[in-house]
Amino acid sequence: MAEILIHAKELWCSYEEDDRRVPVLRGISLDIARGEYVAILGHNGSGKSTFAKLLNGILEPEAGELVVAGTNLASPDLTDDDIYALRREVGMVFQNPDNQLVATIVEEDVAFGPENLGVPSAEIRRRVDDALATVGMSDYAGHEPHRLSGGQKQRVAIAGLIAMMPSCMIFDESTAMLDPAGRREVIETFEKLNREQGITVLTITHYMNEAARADRVIVIDDGKILADGTPHEIFADPGRLIAAGLDVPQCTSLIHALRAEGVALEGEPITPEECADLLCRALEGKKHG
Amino acid sequence: MAELALENITYVYGERTPFEIKALDDVSLTVREGSVTGIIGHTGSGKSTLVQLLNGLERPTSGRVLLDGKDIWEKPKEIKKIRFRVGLVMQYPEYQLFEETIRADIAFGPKNMGLSEEEINHRVKEATEFVGLDPILLDKSPFDLSGGQKRRAAIAGVMAMRPEILVLDEPAAGLDPRGRDIILKGIRDYGKKTGSTVIIVSHSMEDMATYCDDIIVMSHGKVYLSGTRDEVFAHAGKLTEVGLDVPQITRLALLLEERGIPLPHGIYTVDAALDALRSLFR
Amino acid sequence: MKNIALGQYYPAESPIHRLDARMKVILAILYIVCTFLCKNVLCFAALACSSILLILISRIPLRTVLRAIRPIIFIMLFTAVINLFFTKGEVLLFSWWKLQIYREGIYSAVFMVVRIIVLILGTSLFLTYTTTPIALTDAIESLLSPLRIFHAPIHEFAMMMTIALRFIPTLSEETSKIMNAQKARGVDFSEGGLIRRAKSLVPILIPLFVSSFRRADELATAMECRCYRGGKGRTKMTIPRLHVRDFVALFLMVAFGAGIVLLNRYGYGYTM
Repeated sequence: MAEILIHAKELWCSYEEDDRRVPVLRGISLDIARGEYVAILGHNGSGKSTFAKLLNGILEPEAGELVVAGTNLASPDLTDDDIYALRREVGMVFQNPDNQLVATIVEEDVAFGPENLGVPSAEIRRRVDDALATVGMSDYAGHEPHRLSGGQKQRVAIAGLIAMMPSCMIFDESTAMLDPAGRREVIETFEKLNREQGITVLTITHYMNEAARADRVIVIDDGKILADGTPHEIFADPGRLIAAGLDVPQCTSLIHALRAEGVALEGEPITPEECADLLCRALEGKKHG
Repeated sequence: MAELALENITYVYGERTPFEIKALDDVSLTVREGSVTGIIGHTGSGKSTLVQLLNGLERPTSGRVLLDGKDIWEKPKEIKKIRFRVGLVMQYPEYQLFEETIRADIAFGPKNMGLSEEEINHRVKEATEFVGLDPILLDKSPFDLSGGQKRRAAIAGVMAMRPEILVLDEPAAGLDPRGRDIILKGIRDYGKKTGSTVIIVSHSMEDMATYCDDIIVMSHGKVYLSGTRDEVFAHAGKLTEVGLDVPQITRLALLLEERGIPLPHGIYTVDAALDALRSLFR
Repeated sequence: MKNIALGQYYPAESPIHRLDARMKVILAILYIVCTFLCKNVLCFAALACSSILLILISRIPLRTVLRAIRPIIFIMLFTAVINLFFTKGEVLLFSWWKLQIYREGIYSAVFMVVRIIVLILGTSLFLTYTTTPIALTDAIESLLSPLRIFHAPIHEFAMMMTIALRFIPTLSEETSKIMNAQKARGVDFSEGGLIRRAKSLVPILIPLFVSSFRRADELATAMECRCYRGGKGRTKMTIPRLHVRDFVALFLMVAFGAGIVLLNRYGYGYTM
């Protein structure tokens, strides 16, 4: 097992409404290792975004343990400097692409993070150029952010984090406001970062198709962990996901429906390719059998 | 009820400037009366411009928008009346809420129409039911509602004007599966119960396959494909050619077809796939 | 909507565009000083010539340049008339009832008009037309930075300006979206009297305020997550450097000022 980056145990968090405390997270326990690609799946209001906001100190935990990149976020003597140090390690991309870009020029925005860290000028220049190249936005370095598409803006936001060299990136519903093309751009970008640079990626989403691409899926419902496993393990139980207000891949539904009618099918396909393989094998077997 | 048609519509942004863009290029189409029609296409395919032409928010550079055979721009001063007949729900409509209570906000459109107090109350109640909003929420401030609830309230605000044609730009954008289903079902119910025509603009082919009768596919400012749902999905291969995401089950059907497994054309629901495969496994 | 021009910046390749923004601020100030040094016909003639030369060097179309003057035509005429009638002199040219025009009055009116035109042209050509708003903000921040020792919030001011510039296009787009949404619900912005029109702005302004606050809140969170802690300990990616051309421009401007002072001594005719 690789080094643990995020450790949560019996984590509780609640918000105040009309002088009442409404619990959002009700005892979350999990460990995420360095270099993992994890999707946190849940419907709106399930607590998945709250969990994400705890991870880099935007919200404070109420009870339980939470250690992220060596910083104990549940500690009573947590200082601003600790959170500052944590945020160098754990970057976050938010939902609305318009509300996280600060500068009027793309490369100036990418430079914002390293400038805050006090990195020397020449080094910032190098990091900004590298970061823009990594997300495929070098040609837009001199553009104004408001003229970019949603997907491009999110890629600039990602470049802004890369330039700070974090070891983990959290995507808090970063694809929810994008069109399918933009969504693809963002997913492909963070998958590349995970694969090539070993950056730990945590994507918070309610799109089942996105979660299915991760190495590990954690389903959160009503502030608790409902399931935690590989996509194949998670989608093997469609009823549980539907009950949690989520979708199931159509191929998975089809296989389960066929099985219910007595067709013998081995395996849990998620993608159409896997599903086609499985069906072809079964039909082939039937011909010979 | 009313029939809506576009006749040789061209729309140019920033005419005679260096930024000139032709958003729509000689588009002609008819929306079937009483149908739920989906308009799908990439960002920049011209579908958002099209939507704003339907209720006279924008005026076409050339061509005519016909409502019951009459050009909506015949009397430009009466365009406001057209906007009551063709209701438009823009993208992320929750950002337009401004009244102190949800009730007052839903009543805003009907009030502008000059309806009686009694009729307004009736319309608010009816619209609230269509979108499945809990009546308890009516007296709350828009700020106390969740994102999904706000979206529903905003859509109810347009439904309360009871337009003969209801146009919605990405009504389910950003919602989770449950929220999406509630809204799209409510919209379909509105069409069924009032006999109105519904036009939904969306990126999601899966939503189109579930909720629309007719589908219009836009690409580069032109109509690329149009027809009933069955007709459009019979050309599933053509949809992937312009880079549109077809439903996963349609992709599976195309893959199986490539491998020589005989399946009927145009499968776009799990049930249809199940029927087709069931007979193969018998 | 995406093409609204921010400020009046006119993108072009010219020697003035290439100058360092900080130097351009200094040059603009010196140029303004020059216009006030002018005292006689020769000086004003030189001043007018220098402006024409600046327009030519900046490669900005004459029509665009003249647009800068349009808003102040009234003030210009007013000043001209005042000077024409109220300057007393020695050579009376015209007299009717209580109105008297002296030769000095004509000089004075022409001088004032030239001075105002040159003032506007100078600032436009050095600043707004040839410098992007963001470069201008950075330049002002850099020039004012010595005031930091008096605890003046220079960095905060510049950051505010930057964010405002970044969000003006976003908010203007949003305004037109909200307007369309409310029009679709039957709001008419062109109908009725003043009160009704003002009332019809409420459905626009409230959503706009709400959304601006939400944006501000989200942006603040995003900035904090990117380790923003104010100006302290911050570095900059690009450190602007003064080039030889900037010093050449400064030298020319100082020489021009010296020329004006010299011409004042050898002037003839009316002197202000």
